[in-house]
Amino acid sequence: MRKYKNTWLLLCSSLFWVVSYPIAGQCTPEATTIDELVEKYDSQKCGGCHEEIYQEWQNSWHAKAVNSSLGGIRNFIEVGLKKEWNTPLTKNEVLKCLDCHAPIVNFASEELARDIGRLIVTAKDFPTTPTGTEALKELAKLNVGCYACHNIKATGVAPGLRGRPQEGVMYGPTGEDGDDFHTSVETVDLKTSAFCMQCHGVYHAPDGETIQCNTLSGSYRHGYLAAGGSKTCQECHSAKGHMFPGGHDLDTVKQGLGFNVQIAKYKHLPGQITSVKDANKWVPSAIVTAFIENRAGHRIPDG
Amino acid sequence: MVLEVTAKDAEGNELFKNEKKWFEIGIDPDKDMRYGAWQIKEIIDLTLPPLATQKEQYLIHFDTDTDEVRIDAKLYYYINGSKRELVHDVSKTLSFF
Ligand code: HEC
Ligand code: HEC
Ligand code: HEC
Ligand code: HEC
Repeated sequence: MRKYKNTWLLLCSSLFWVVSYPIAGQCTPEATTIDELVEKYDSQKCGGCHEEIYQEWQNSWHAKAVNSSLGGIRNFIEVGLKKEWNTPLTKNEVLKCLDCHAPIVNFASEELARDIGRLIVTAKDFPTTPTGTEALKELAKLNVGCYACHNIKATGVAPGLRGRPQEGVMYGPTGEDGDDFHTSVETVDLKTSAFCMQCHGVYHAPDGETIQCNTLSGSYRHGYLAAGGSKTCQECHSAKGHMFPGGHDLDTVKQGLGFNVQIAKYKHLPGQITSVKDANKWVPSAIVTAFIENRAGHRIPDG
Repeated sequence: MVLEVTAKDAEGNELFKNEKKWFEIGIDPDKDMRYGAWQIKEIIDLTLPPLATQKEQYLIHFDTDTDEVRIDAKLYYYINGSKRELVHDVSKTLSFF
């Protein structure tokens, strides 16, 4: 177990300060291929010891956060950057989507980040060609992996207080070390809604651009908390462990929606409803009253 | 999300149908509707707010020769534009003999 700040690592990151990307604050040079990038932060490595969590995560949408959003990201590159903004594809631009959809891209070199952008376009536009399927296969390696939550974004809500994440260290709720493989730092931050809101809300890029991919956290804060709700995202979304089920999971959706319907009949006085066949007869009528209750922690639906 | 209320006669002919939708519209600074995450700068919120219950009420008149009506109220959740799941449904048959 280790406490938050570590002089050895601080020294190390200041030596490499000039070459390393600021958000990373880590010692290692930027990756130049997807395999290099993934090799360092591969979730499969964690699966060897955290088998059950790994299985749950693999079935989650976090595990396919790039390939399930391919069309939108492709459009950002081909329509947004190219046509509307007239702006070249750079790492900073790619990160306007991938800082959330695949946070490890923060550790990619400028050239690799651009390559990833180009792969996204190829995978979307030519899905049935050999290059397209190859691109899809490569992109499947990018996602919201273990390392994204347990390291890269782990101290993101309070970097002043917690310091930048230290390379290879896992941030978790207990601080229990992972045998010889990793040390751990206890952080309650992962249990806060603010932690999840880093990615589940309006994004402010370093250059000031706002990206509204999903706006759920605004509703959590200004709708749910403001109305007296007090549960965290994790309290509602951990029923299936690291699957973190949401809108794709019918059980979760059912729990989130109350539905009370009252159906009653009566006969309306003759002569008042003009469209009927026989104006002298009583008119069969029904009243349907439906009460739809939102029991989630935010608006339904989102986005 | 859509609430669909229908009324059908004994033969299954549709006598009434209404759909109430809850959704968001993303707009750009020119107030044009947009889908792209980079284009949307504001939203128009027509969703169901948290910790709230909304009431939808329908008064439906049938023709004078109607004997029996089946009312269905169905709540659908759209996970994307094309795929919907039935979340809840309630139905009742009313007879007017
Ligand atoms: C602040 C973090 C964040 C940023 C930045 C971001 N996204 Fe997302 N995106 C998410 C999250 C979280 C989801 C899934 C949850 C949801 O839909 O509410 C998502 C889902 C999506 C989806 C799938 C939506 C659907 O209805 O299935 C698309 C497409 C998408 N994003 C495109 C983009 C594009 C394009 C960009 C860059 C211009 C981008 N995103 C930037 C967080 C982000
Ligand atoms: C989307 C963010 C996210 C991802 C991705 C993620 N985790 Fe977690 N993990 C959490 C959060 C949040 C908690 C704390 C839950 C709590 O205590 O409320 C947690 C807790 C844990 C714990 C300790 C508590 C427990 O449940 O046993 C372990 C171990 C863990 N995660 C391992 C992993 C591994 C391995 C992966 C990848 C296969 C992974 N996590 C992916 C967010 C994430
Ligand atoms: C050699 C086995 C091993 C490997 C590989 C491993 N862990 Fe662990 N990890 C453990 C053990 C043992 C613990 C402590 C008890 C527990 O939670 O199971 C632990 C604890 C954790 C915790 C909880 C720490 C806390 O503070 O609560 C997290 C988070 C975690 N591991 C994430 C990961 C991630 C992410 C990876 C992959 C990069 C990984 N682990 C790889 C064995 C391993
Ligand atoms: C009180 C319980 C509760 C809380 C708190 C809560 N959620 Fe949810 N969430 C739900 C339920 C139930 C659903 C399913 C209904 C729906 O899709 O909106 C859901 C759905 C979602 C979805 C899918 C939305 C969609 O339209 O596809 C995401 C993403 C999500 N939640 C993220 C979060 C995040 C992030 C937080 C914290 C800021 C959070 N939730 C807080 C209960 C909750």
